[in-house]
Amino acid sequence: MTTNAVAGLGLAPDAAMVTFPIEMFLPGSDISPLEARKREFYDGLTGWRSALAGNGASAAPMIRVEGTSVEDALARANHLMLANRWGDGLPLWPPTAARVDWMLRGAAQPRRHRLGTFPPRGGVTTVESCAIALAMAGGRPEYLPVLVAAVDAFLDPASGSEQLQAASGSAFPVVIVNGPIGAQIRLNAGFGCLGPDPQRPAGASIGRALRLLQQNVGGALPGLGTMANYGGMRYTNVVFAEDEASLPPGWAPHGSERHGFGPGTSSLSLVFANGVTNIRRRGAKKETPEEDALQGMHRMAAFMRVPNMAGLAGYEHGAPGILMIPGVVAQTMAGLGWTKASMREFLWEHSRIPAEQLRRAGCPAWIEIDASKVARDSLAQDPWPITASADNFVIVVAGGGHPTNSYWLQGYSPGVVGRPLEVPPSFDGLLAEAERDLGPR
Amino acid sequence: MVTLEFHDPSGSTEVTRPHAPRLPTLEGKRIGFVSNEQWQAYRMLPRLKALLEADFPGIEVLPIDAFPQGNAVIGSEETAALVKASGVDAVIVGNAA
Repeated sequence: MTTNAVAGLGLAPDAAMVTFPIEMFLPGSDISPLEARKREFYDGLTGWRSALAGNGASAAPMIRVEGTSVEDALARANHLMLANRWGDGLPLWPPTAARVDWMLRGAAQPRRHRLGTFPPRGGVTTVESCAIALAMAGGRPEYLPVLVAAVDAFLDPASGSEQLQAASGSAFPVVIVNGPIGAQIRLNAGFGCLGPDPQRPAGASIGRALRLLQQNVGGALPGLGTMANYGGMRYTNVVFAEDEASLPPGWAPHGSERHGFGPGTSSLSLVFANGVTNIRRRGAKKETPEEDALQGMHRMAAFMRVPNMAGLAGYEHGAPGILMIPGVVAQTMAGLGWTKASMREFLWEHSRIPAEQLRRAGCPAWIEIDASKVARDSLAQDPWPITASADNFVIVVAGGGHPTNSYWLQGYSPGVVGRPLEVPPSFDGLLAEAERDLGPR
Repeated sequence: MVTLEFHDPSGSTEVTRPHAPRLPTLEGKRIGFVSNEQWQAYRMLPRLKALLEADFPGIEVLPIDAFPQGNAVIGSEETAALVKASGVDAVIVGNAA
């Protein structure tokens, strides 16, 4: 934790810090250990010296593992990666030079192209870093354009990643892909789009690679580099495509609505979330189509009307969450006159929380200390809107063609960051190789 | 024997600036606090202030609210400028995370 706290700022990865067990930081705690260890504070201000001072980048070496057979070498490599805290517990492909070079065939930029430093540890992040992580995650080269853009978006300060990487709220990145690349690389947009699908494995590999970068380059190790209490969704994060083929006439793709990318542009949008739940959307008896739609909207809004402060992280510019609705529902809603915009307005109005409920849950204290003046000023409103603007709600058409359920990814996202995707000139060839290796799409 | 050679996935880090130099002594120095105002900071930092004042003759320890407090503001350039302008010799940043 000490390393992460300062290395990401360009300082040597140690610091004058006095650490105590968490119990001392709780209400009503015994703070006498402070006095018992006062000399450590004094030393931090006077005699302390960094043991790791130096200049320039420290390059990572290649790792060498020997085994009596391929299987033995592979096992030893996996054991070593776990021992070095580079793995996630699932089998890894060792990122050999050959495999990383293969991944780099999907790069639109030079391998040394620098994307930034990964917070909080401050690891230098390049296109090659992405290729290494993608190799470990079992990816393919045609996935690399999405991963590189996702990392670029992740490292954008507007995403809030600098805080969320280390924070206790267990935020995970959600990557929404728009444009033709989704289908081209087999990103799932339909049934089971957030889960494993052997014919559409891209989301799992890309999301796992992003997670490995968060941990290996960014230093977000459980309890050491990140204080995420639960760490949900951290094996693969969330990576899926919008089901653009099912968008009703007049409904724009998410990338166009939120980021202004032209229809048909391959792009992605990165949002942080920290919860996922299913919301039963359709009725069960003799509802009219209008009743069915309206009741479903009320159920979704009511679910969002909870005083847990999740949306506060992105109150002004971020998102209170991502609502996923299947294409068949979008078609029905559109037939009744609904648009994404009118759905957002409805959700915004009907998810407001009465001030009395906020007060008894202790929420005003959190709102009063928020960095955003817009958020602080929002306390004057009763009922209190869970986000500053209806436009902040993200609505995406995705999921299997079945009307019963919608999905709500609770936001924890200071920003929503978009990126257009760049592919190499040889991209069509990579897609043809995928067709050969994985069978027809 | 089969040999596998592969990349260290942790990449590289770089040191671009040094830590602040330390003080030769705390006697007669001016010390400030930059507080996130959380995690019992309102109890711990005043206690630390009292300890410093008791142990070092001539030390001046500014009140814990001498600078803007809270996670949202302690990392800002504005707060850093206020700290520099105050003429403190050192600051203690607290509390927890």
